[in-house]
Amino acid sequence: MATSVGSKFLDLDNGPDSTLLHRELNWLIQDSLGEGEPATLSCAASASSSGSTSSKKVVKLRTCLDDLYRLWKERIEDRRPFQYLVGCEHWRDLVLSVEEGVLIPRPETELIVDFVEDVLAENYGDGLKEGLWADLGTGSGALAIAIGRILGCNGRVIATDLSPVAVAVTEYNVKRYCLQDKVKVKQGSWFEPLEESEVELGGIVSNPPYIPSDNIAGLQAEVSKHEPILALDGGANGMKDLLHLCNGAASMLRPGGFFAFETNGEQQSQFLAGYMESELGGRLVDIKIESDLAGIPRFVKGFKAR
Amino acid sequence: MADRGSLLRRILRSINQQLPRPTVAEFRWRTRPSVIRPRPASCISSLFLHWRQYSTELQHHMSPELMKLMEQRLSAIENRSDHLHQIVNQPEASPEEYSRANKELRKLRDVAELITDLRAKQKEINDLKSVIADCQDDKDMKEMASEELDQAMAEEKRLQYLLLKHLLPKDDADERDCILEVRAGTGGEEASLFAMEIFKMYEKYSQRSGWKFEVIDVAQSDLKGYKEASASISGVGVYGKLKFESGIHRVQRVPVTEKSGRLHTSAVSVAILPQADQVDVQLRNEDLKIDTYRSGGSGGQHANTTDSAVRITHIPTGITVTIQDERSQHKNKSKALKVLCARLYEMERSRLHSIRSQFRSEQIGSGDRSERIRTYNFPQGRVTDHRVGITSHSIDDMLEGESLDTFIDALLLQQEMDAISSFVSSE
Repeated sequence: MATSVGSKFLDLDNGPDSTLLHRELNWLIQDSLGEGEPATLSCAASASSSGSTSSKKVVKLRTCLDDLYRLWKERIEDRRPFQYLVGCEHWRDLVLSVEEGVLIPRPETELIVDFVEDVLAENYGDGLKEGLWADLGTGSGALAIAIGRILGCNGRVIATDLSPVAVAVTEYNVKRYCLQDKVKVKQGSWFEPLEESEVELGGIVSNPPYIPSDNIAGLQAEVSKHEPILALDGGANGMKDLLHLCNGAASMLRPGGFFAFETNGEQQSQFLAGYMESELGGRLVDIKIESDLAGIPRFVKGFKAR
Repeated sequence: MADRGSLLRRILRSINQQLPRPTVAEFRWRTRPSVIRPRPASCISSLFLHWRQYSTELQHHMSPELMKLMEQRLSAIENRSDHLHQIVNQPEASPEEYSRANKELRKLRDVAELITDLRAKQKEINDLKSVIADCQDDKDMKEMASEELDQAMAEEKRLQYLLLKHLLPKDDADERDCILEVRAGTGGEEASLFAMEIFKMYEKYSQRSGWKFEVIDVAQSDLKGYKEASASISGVGVYGKLKFESGIHRVQRVPVTEKSGRLHTSAVSVAILPQADQVDVQLRNEDLKIDTYRSGGSGGQHANTTDSAVRITHIPTGITVTIQDERSQHKNKSKALKVLCARLYEMERSRLHSIRSQFRSEQIGSGDRSERIRTYNFPQGRVTDHRVGITSHSIDDMLEGESLDTFIDALLLQQEMDAISSFVSSE
């Protein structure tokens, strides 16, 4: 089934090709192996290649083969994302639970945590490590959890999301990493759930919806048919929420506080950086555009003026 | 390093499998038949005389030349140590002088203590000898003194041996973890299948040794063999034990892919690299280019992909490392960085090594990966290591990671002898 796809999806909407699907199939089988089964590559590899006789070992599966087949059919025929099939996404050193209604965290977004790590290493004296951070529009809680794990013992993170499903999934993920004392999850739009005592933020990170409304229909089927539009659609030019976050950062960050936002690419990054420099009265400084590993200028980061 | 007794016994056992029982004294010559590879072994043999077996314990006698050399080194260390003590005890020594002397003393402490013990033992021996000379008439006394003298002399030998080991050059990398890289060479699918078996041999050997074996990346061939595979092995003394595995491993057998039953010879190359971190290799972020090599597209929220492959290019050397087996980009990146550091570290080591080896003859463990080091002959059920000339007739145990110690121990012993010979020739 995976082989028959060839490069059809790739040509159609930049979707997965056979090689990628084969690897996903290996992972699907790895993930369905029962407790105590060695999840070694060779084992999964030989199990997945139909007709292979190299491994005749009997393995215990947590799901019956019919269910696996049904799931895989959904992957190919409905283009249901692999991460929803197995219910998780491997992101940085985390394994995060995901389900329909929550955006699957992207590899690009991992870099935001690197930026935060760098800032914490350099600005230790500023106490950012022990400060209050916000991950706005947290989705599965990826950024909030990763940052929660690198803050000092007094550091805290508030994760907000408008979607009740996202809030529930984030709460579950936070519990899995035993960070209930460190990461607080609140339902609401962007800064709204923050209380008055929480307006002096040491840092703000966000991967808000940034895709222009017109582009939504043409997205890869995995995204457009299955992922929540709430987490993708950024209005006419895709900048509606990003601008709101910029203005919020200018007033909510404490002096010296750090921010990093993900954007749609070069155009948005440049516009945003220009806006911060010219429209916010110098309240945000040290503004830099950073590229993702594919070379696309993806992030805007900087500090609140002291 | 394994204790010498068990090490030798194991080697002897393996030799006994293939040769008419040699006497123990013959052992050294049998381990390196000159037919296979003539080596300048004679210089070592005359220095490191012979091995003798006392009950189950093995002891050795050092040649007078080696003893003389060691004695010179020991007095030099004693003088240095006295000199440093003087500095430390001088009230007028500057703080820099003081701390430098102190630091050097700390480094010399272990060996200085051994020398003190040795001197005490040697004095005891002299005293006992004069007791024996003085009481020729008192038979009981003489007997008692001779008994003590024997013990003291045995102890002296032990201390001398420990000191010798201290004086021999050590490879600082021996205690490090390592990266194992296995590549199928000539022989197509058959080579890939054998690469997989070799890879798994090290996996099993690592488990047996209580080490942690983590697969880094595997590139499979059509028949599910390994075109290339790498792993990170960590534990106590990993590199020191595995370093001699680097080189070409040759296999002779009728491949499963061969219908006519013809014997094939294929080759697999193995590299063992000591692990290093970014500090060891002075890696600077600006020297690195890290990218995904995915085909275009807008990325970010536009794309849902499970492809998180990462490629790291070290700009000054042009080395690239690509890792795609992990499910997150972050993990692929850190694995790629680990492999890159190990490769850079190895490059620096072999550069230093080639400078050094201009001054002395080629030794084992040169890390020359084009050297054919071992042959696995399936029809005859044997594995031969060409460097020490040892053959094991249990090829199945070998691939199960069981008999590998036969070779490793012999190679370690060889290394020690080479070290002794260069210790002598460097004088």
